[in-house]
Amino acid sequence: MAFLIPCPNCGERGVTEFRFGGEVNPRPAPSASSDEWTSYFYRRGNTSGLQTEWWYHRYGCRKWFLAKRDTTTNQVTETRWP
Amino acid sequence: MALTQNGNRLPPRPGEAIDRSHAVSFTYNGRGIRAFAGDTVASALYASGVTILSRSFKYHRPRGLLCAAGRCPNCLVTVDGVPNVRACTTPVREGMAVRSQNAWPSVDTDALNVIDKFDFAMPVGFYYKTFHQPKLMWHIAQPIIRRLGGLGAVDITADPESHYHHDNRHADVAVAGGGPAGLSAAIAAASAGAKVVLVDDQPSLGGHLRFDPSRHADVPGLKAGKGPELAAQLTEAVRASSRIQVIAGTVFGVYQDNLVAVLTRDSVIKLRAKRLIVATGSNEVPHVFENNDLPGVMLSTAAVRLAYLYGVKPGRKAVVACGDDYGYRAALALQGAGVKIAAVVDARGGFPASMSEAQALRDSGVRVLNGYVVIRAEGPKHLSAVSLCHLREGVPLTEELRLDCDLLATSGAFEPAAGLLHQSGGRFAFDEALGEMLPSDLPRGVLVTGEVTGIRDLRANILQGRVAGLDAASSFHVLSYEVRQDLARLRHDLAEALAAYRAHTTRSSPIADMPGKKRFVCFCEDVTVKDVAQAVDEGFADIQSLKRYSTVTMGPCQGKMCHRSFVHLCAAKTGQSVQKTGSTTLRPPLAPVPLGALAGHLHTPIKRTPVDKRSRDMGARMTDLGPWRRAHVFSNPEEEALAIRQRVGIIDVTSLGKLDVRGKDCGALLDKVYTNKMSDLQAGRIRYGLMCADSGTILDDGTVSRLALDHFFVTTTTGNVEAIEEWVRWWTAGTNMCAHVNNVTAAYAAINLAGPKARDTLRKLTDMDISADSFKYMRFGQGHVAGVPAILLRIGFVGETGWEIHFPAEYGEHVWDALLNAGEEFGIIPCGLEAQRILRLEKKHIIVNQDTDSVTTPLEADMEWAVKFDKEDFVGRGGIRAVKERGIRNKVVGFVMRDGLVPEDGDPVVMGGSPIGRVTSSRFSPALRKGVGIAYVPADYAEEGRELLISINGRTEPATVTLKPFYDPEGERLRA
Ligand code: FES
Ligand SMILES: [Zn+2]
Repeated sequence: MAFLIPCPNCGERGVTEFRFGGEVNPRPAPSASSDEWTSYFYRRGNTSGLQTEWWYHRYGCRKWFLAKRDTTTNQVTETRWP
Repeated sequence: MALTQNGNRLPPRPGEAIDRSHAVSFTYNGRGIRAFAGDTVASALYASGVTILSRSFKYHRPRGLLCAAGRCPNCLVTVDGVPNVRACTTPVREGMAVRSQNAWPSVDTDALNVIDKFDFAMPVGFYYKTFHQPKLMWHIAQPIIRRLGGLGAVDITADPESHYHHDNRHADVAVAGGGPAGLSAAIAAASAGAKVVLVDDQPSLGGHLRFDPSRHADVPGLKAGKGPELAAQLTEAVRASSRIQVIAGTVFGVYQDNLVAVLTRDSVIKLRAKRLIVATGSNEVPHVFENNDLPGVMLSTAAVRLAYLYGVKPGRKAVVACGDDYGYRAALALQGAGVKIAAVVDARGGFPASMSEAQALRDSGVRVLNGYVVIRAEGPKHLSAVSLCHLREGVPLTEELRLDCDLLATSGAFEPAAGLLHQSGGRFAFDEALGEMLPSDLPRGVLVTGEVTGIRDLRANILQGRVAGLDAASSFHVLSYEVRQDLARLRHDLAEALAAYRAHTTRSSPIADMPGKKRFVCFCEDVTVKDVAQAVDEGFADIQSLKRYSTVTMGPCQGKMCHRSFVHLCAAKTGQSVQKTGSTTLRPPLAPVPLGALAGHLHTPIKRTPVDKRSRDMGARMTDLGPWRRAHVFSNPEEEALAIRQRVGIIDVTSLGKLDVRGKDCGALLDKVYTNKMSDLQAGRIRYGLMCADSGTILDDGTVSRLALDHFFVTTTTGNVEAIEEWVRWWTAGTNMCAHVNNVTAAYAAINLAGPKARDTLRKLTDMDISADSFKYMRFGQGHVAGVPAILLRIGFVGETGWEIHFPAEYGEHVWDALLNAGEEFGIIPCGLEAQRILRLEKKHIIVNQDTDSVTTPLEADMEWAVKFDKEDFVGRGGIRAVKERGIRNKVVGFVMRDGLVPEDGDPVVMGGSPIGRVTSSRFSPALRKGVGIAYVPADYAEEGRELLISINGRTEPATVTLKPFYDPEGERLRA
């Protein structure tokens, strides 16, 4: 893996500076049903194509942000603060 | 006929790479060799008459210089113990020890050459076919094959430490290749304002111009001159530009978004560029005829290199075989270097009358044979003659002609060095007119220029380079009006030059079928035309599977010498077009990369606490705990544990993770990430904290101290702090919470002072009120210890009266020494990690990740008390609730062994002979004088007094379940 990610704070950097935080997975309300919680724990979209996901700039500004990445090409098309 | 020691050096000539005033000597198989600075090992050996450099992989045939450019397998030697070094690109160094490899007793007389006579026993794919039946055969054959196989020998006694470092660079434009096109591209891009890094793997810049003796008059922007003079002009322009940086190294890989991997003599450079210009030129490749691997047969560029770069006469009498105009130039160059040209053999039917070099050759009386090809090289160990055959309409006739010579320079077969384009995802199409697979479709950010495009014309290549350089710069800079004008003019000139080149270029197509045996396609793995044909007959008609079965392109040259013939041969044999046949995939690394270079230096720093040296001076044996080094044992762990139980001891706990959490919402944040409630903690108090993932599994534990309403001090388990910091930050991301988390682990040293005499010891060092009534258990205080500002946490991981003292790390040794001095009268001793583990186990305190695993929730860990379901929400609530509804299957329990035995961590808990659980920690308890431990067992075993069976070394031993701490179950000592 060698692709570039534009950190909203630091600009374009190599992927090895970042930690991947997984696809965005909205958390159910505390009162949600067991089923909703279970699907939140264990089900992922695992999209082939554009996916919004969390990234953390571990060796940079140490901030979490959201990135849109094409999972088939690793191209990051957009990044923004959550 | 081997060349002799004398007379192999040519008279000095301007532009040569060697410095004749500077002698260098080294040894080759123990024999002294004299050379000049600037020589390569191969040029020096050739000058000394050594023409056999190696033995081939399979048949142990003698092999000599083939490419002289670092592209083939023929010159692999061992240098100073390092195997598989290419002699032709390795500069000579005073005193270096060079040895030949893969031959016994020597490369000149290799006994294993007999294999060559038994080639019928080793057909293509023989390793899939032979030695399988009967079974016993393999056992006999394997050790012999092991001895015969492989290249070189690794010195396993060598220093395992890597001497390579890693480096990161950035550039607007990276140029791979320092030939005329690459240099022109770099100069043009820099002139338009780009920051350029140029990588070239040759000892000096200029590419083939360095050994091109012909005069060029029509090169735009350069003064007329011979190749080396043009190279000097271009090199000068590169050096003069402050925007161009030159790296002497090899590009071995191109990864996504133009991450260019470069290997240099002592480093791996990760070069990131906005644009990559591939100007890697082309590789001349061997012709295919009988005995085409005989020493004395070499590529025409190799012969010219030897003569013009190293002043070494490549042979006395040469035949030059070609299929395009280049051969005439090479012949003229060799003639100019004093080699007698016996004949030029051109596979094309007509004489290229319009070519001045061809005319000049003929005028000088050189015999030119048009419509001929070489069908055989002759000579036992070195070339003595070649046999030729006349072609009619591209088909070889049988009539032969024999010419005496000691050098056969083969020319006119080139293949674009397009490996980097393959890697970056470029596509290729077969160009019928030029007879080559050429780049047709390039990935984003990659440009291509020079001979790699199949155009071998200096004027065109230089124009191509300039256009590519300006194109690259224009993709991120706005070019000035003048530069844009310039670019338009260059494009126009280039279009004309390309059209002219195509109009007058004729190339012979490779000869499909010729008689004769031992026609090598692949020099690395000794694969012949016959082998490839047979493999196709066996059904491996697809180029990819043919490659894997025949191993062609899979040896040290990685296809550089064999790929072209391989594809053409496969196409001819299968009757498919070359385009349809395709090509094999070239993956990184493009050139061999030592593993040590990839490894680089150790990049995981070892963390040492501020009392690390003091501990070691006091005799501590150290151990790894996550990234930290911790004192494991000072004297004897059980004695150390007893000292804390009976007197007093200190433990260096600096490696604990420490987070400083501030902001008005930090109570809310900690409520969210811990299962217990933190927002109602009063300032001055401490609470145990348990942290879970949302699914309910335990992530971490530690203590949370409230320093002020908006200020907490949090500890985490050793080695986990970075992950926890990231985790906690994630829960603040996008929430607008006013809560800031900072990792202060390394800022503070921490020493745990514990034991019945801890208070007496501490009292001598502080004026804080530390009496049992005013400084209670689970409280903290801020004050001075031995004059150093400190935070004191009165907690009890080890189960005795004690304080965890956190203070600025700079004072580590000072406070450590002060505590030991103050406690001396009470019998204080320093204690290690092992004593701490015993003590915590006696208290049945779990260690996250030791006594829990990635699916353990607080319910299994018997820590429901730490989970506050009455909080509206916290991370893990949903998961723990779901587990609670479902019911747990396993639980963490304490156990005491009946007899004096101690199981090992990980020993199975069994029932009826099958495992039902496992011991997660176990130690001998000096306080109880029994083995105690924690085990993970089915939940119905979690009953006070229940019997467990633990398998120790295969014997089943009884233990009793205990749900309370083994030692001081009510915690009286702790609170004292
Ligand atoms: S002769 Fe050295 S690699 Fe070809
Ligand atoms: Zn950043």
